[in-house]
Amino acid sequence: MDTSGSRQASRTYYLRKNIIMGLLHTWLPYILAGIAVGGQYALIAIGYTMVYGILRLINFAHGDVFMWSGLIMVYLVTVLPLWLSVILVIAFAIVLGTTIERVAYRPLRTAPRMSIMISAIGVSYLLQNFALYITGGLTKTYPSISWLQKTVKIGSATTKMVTLITPVLTIVLVFILVMLIKHTKIGMAMRAVSRDFETSSLMGIDINRVITVTFIIGCALASIGSILYFSNYTGINPMSGAMPGLKAFVAAVFGGIGSVPGAVVGAFVIGICENLIKGAGWTTFSDAFTFVLLIIILMVKPTGLFGEKNLDKV
Amino acid sequence: MDNRQVVLKLSDITMQFGGVVAVDNLNLEVHKNEIVGLIGPNGAGKTTAFNCITGVYEPTNGAVEINGQVVIENYPKGKMKDAYKGRNKDKYTRTLTMLPDKVTGLGVARTFQNIRLFKGMTVLENVMVAMHMNQTESVFAATFRTKKARAQEKAMREEAMELLKKVDLYENMDDLSTSLPYGKQRHLEIARALATHPTILLLDEPAAGMNPQESDDLMKFIGRIREEFDLSILMIEHHMQVVMGICEHIYVLNYGGQIADGTPEEIQANPAVIEAYLGGDE
Amino acid sequence: MDTRLDNKKKIALSAACLILFMVFVYFGDIMIRPGSSMKMLITVIEKGSIFALVAASMNLLNGFTGLFSLGQAGFMLIGAYTYAIFTIPADSHDKVYQYFNGGIIKWSIVEILESKLGLAGHYLGMLIPMLMAGLLVALIGFLIGIPVLRLKSDYLAIATLGFAEIIRAFFQWNTLGPLTNGSNVLRKYTTYKNAIFPVMIAGISIAIILLLINSTYGRAFRAIRDDEIAAEAMGINLFKHKEMSFVISSFFAGISGALLAMFQTTISATPFTTVMTYEILLIVVIGGIGSITGSVIGAFLFTAASEWWLRGLDAGKWMGISSSLMRPGFRKVVFAILIMLIVLFYSRGIMGDKEFSWDGFFAWCKSRPAAVKAWPEKRKASRAAKKEARAVKSAAKARAKQAKEEKEARKSSGEGLFTPLVLADHVVVFEKEGRNG
Repeated sequence: MDTSGSRQASRTYYLRKNIIMGLLHTWLPYILAGIAVGGQYALIAIGYTMVYGILRLINFAHGDVFMWSGLIMVYLVTVLPLWLSVILVIAFAIVLGTTIERVAYRPLRTAPRMSIMISAIGVSYLLQNFALYITGGLTKTYPSISWLQKTVKIGSATTKMVTLITPVLTIVLVFILVMLIKHTKIGMAMRAVSRDFETSSLMGIDINRVITVTFIIGCALASIGSILYFSNYTGINPMSGAMPGLKAFVAAVFGGIGSVPGAVVGAFVIGICENLIKGAGWTTFSDAFTFVLLIIILMVKPTGLFGEKNLDKV
Repeated sequence: MDNRQVVLKLSDITMQFGGVVAVDNLNLEVHKNEIVGLIGPNGAGKTTAFNCITGVYEPTNGAVEINGQVVIENYPKGKMKDAYKGRNKDKYTRTLTMLPDKVTGLGVARTFQNIRLFKGMTVLENVMVAMHMNQTESVFAATFRTKKARAQEKAMREEAMELLKKVDLYENMDDLSTSLPYGKQRHLEIARALATHPTILLLDEPAAGMNPQESDDLMKFIGRIREEFDLSILMIEHHMQVVMGICEHIYVLNYGGQIADGTPEEIQANPAVIEAYLGGDE
Repeated sequence: MDTRLDNKKKIALSAACLILFMVFVYFGDIMIRPGSSMKMLITVIEKGSIFALVAASMNLLNGFTGLFSLGQAGFMLIGAYTYAIFTIPADSHDKVYQYFNGGIIKWSIVEILESKLGLAGHYLGMLIPMLMAGLLVALIGFLIGIPVLRLKSDYLAIATLGFAEIIRAFFQWNTLGPLTNGSNVLRKYTTYKNAIFPVMIAGISIAIILLLINSTYGRAFRAIRDDEIAAEAMGINLFKHKEMSFVISSFFAGISGALLAMFQTTISATPFTTVMTYEILLIVVIGGIGSITGSVIGAFLFTAASEWWLRGLDAGKWMGISSSLMRPGFRKVVFAILIMLIVLFYSRGIMGDKEFSWDGFFAWCKSRPAAVKAWPEKRKASRAAKKEARAVKSAAKARAKQAKEEKEARKSSGEGLFTPLVLADHVVVFEKEGRNG
């Protein structure tokens, strides 16, 4: 009686374990890929969320800065050693991002919000068309960084090194960023400006400097993200930036726009869900899912997970 | 006391934002054809009270009655349940909310402290917009200009012109609203509010930024429109000259709380009011 | 001297111009040989009028109701598919839906009506699916509007963009293949024979939009655009009116989608991306946000520039200049730069928020000679003003530099350490506009 009961229990235990192992076996690759992509989205999303926090602007061109970092890498690697290319790509992204801010956003800072958003869309259009011209519309192959492409085995799944590196690197970078925002003078200025643009400029904070630093951080992270992202999806074309850019923005909204940890959490959620949907065989809807999520969050909690509510003054 | 019918009644209205109590237990009555003043130092919660009446904010506690019908009622719930600092916490049990456009539909029109005209539109259009709510034609009829829609549009235009004549803006009819001088913009805001056919008019600092001569004119103007449109008026005002000149009853707020109410003479003699305005005797 | 025309004359003049234009388009399309550069003009007019319609519909939202919506491409997509699906001739179904056993709809509205009513049936058979396209999109717009229109400006933009992407994914979904042909193109459906068709449909639609804007509802829309809170206080139900504007805009986006399907003769979901929405938005911006005339002009300019005038930039030779830089794609770069210049330096667009009127037109014509004459003076004045501004700026800079140097000097000499207070020589009082918010 007793023994049969325990046998029963152990059998269900093994059965359950098998099911779980089986599920894990099928789903682990997707979850791993999701975490990796999530980390890459997170690196892009930070740029969106910080710029929005300070300028209240959806920087539609951010995804294209990300794409351009990838393109430049393709061209640089053909003539320069890898380590130098990586540094130059990051530098390029920073220069591009700050130039965009200076040329296209700064003159419109006092204009209605719709104008500056249109300007952002215009820049995005320009960057995409310029990329189209440079590449001739062809998909370029991203240089393979052998160290990142190395295969590793986790449990039953084999995956590339980049899958493991991405989340770790993302967390480290975000940690540094959060520390920077919390404990340095410029970080304090950033927080002040995102709270109240006008007052902080009256208090003697150099708004332009804060905005420039914000763009530098955002673009540097986006370019690091591009290296990781395109090591995974090796094809790159002028439109490659649009979708990851939009998804990263959704991640930022999901987490509560203006909040860095929120954007990171949002990005991981989106990355993982998207890959699980792919795993379930609904690849067509993996992109659309992001927007379903966006619309749900906007309906249920428009301020996002970590966002704060602000009241309109009448 | 006053035997006239009560047209607007605020009972225990409390508005709390986070930990800040902006309006604290305000009780106020406006009788038919009365001009009531709501005064108090800056930040006393006067405009917030207006926003509670018109449905822009949902009051945290209390009720608003318009013409004897309770239209807004609320009690602290959710997070506010514990954070609530005001009084009469358990007095109300219903939740009634009404959006500003519905409140306007009930005959409560308002103006704004920081003039909110429709910038891209002419003076005439500004007034006509306010009549939109009373027109009955569907969007199709209006688009395809059915006979009825045309007649209604014409009637609307004529009424708006008539109204503009009454507020001395007839000559400025086709000017862009923002091109008007400041005083006229205030007049236009009032005309626009009148175009909604209100019975109760809420004026938020109508004399702000006016010189003595202009505020004198405004006083006469307000008196005139009360007679002409059969209005009851509740106004927020800082110009004591205006308030004491035309208000029949005055409520004084300070730090959200109601510190006094009475006739202008009573208010002028009230020590609490004097203290609130001049900061005490010490 | 007053040259205002009376209303009757104006209407006559407008009608004459329109009829002349229609006649030109109709016979132009028949007579001009394919391949000649004049044929390009007809193509531009066709495509331009389609985009004029969708731009006007977007302007209704962005420019007149103040709703920054970016879903137009998605709505056009639904319109295009709806039209195409119902007009593919019965015997072409097997070819078109070759991967889906000929699809589930095996008939064409055009053919059914044509067999019963002849030529009239043919056109009716084109108009009905087009109307269906508009109504379906309007319904979908209505449903999307319910959640989305409660959002504020930029959230609304991103949510509508999101819906457009969802729509695109939906139409490429293989399970819907028997209806939408999955990710394959739809083709062989009935298209128009003469360029006058899209011009007329677009013209009528735009006229309706204009009538709407100038009605009492249009005024309510503009009130919402200018100040939501004040509009609400004037008794305008925000949600109802926003929804109305959104649904009407969607309807016309659907119609323009159907026209685009006819223009292109094949349709697939792939090109209806955010880029397309951006292009429509840029047309609206070029023409002037809040001006339907502007949107129409913008659409024709945009199409003419991208399809015709700047073509040479891709081919290596443009206006007599040839350069190795000019290879495929260069046109779009130049074009994008032009647009950026407009956005940055001419943000009111061609028309600002004004509409075309004969009075304005004649006044403008009349003022040209004087304006040309006054131009050198004006330029001189603006140059002088600029110079002055620069001088002021550099003086301020120099002062700031000097002050800084002095401060540094004081600091280094240790003086600053003991100065208890900096004496201000003037006090700046900040006062917010409109008296205490």
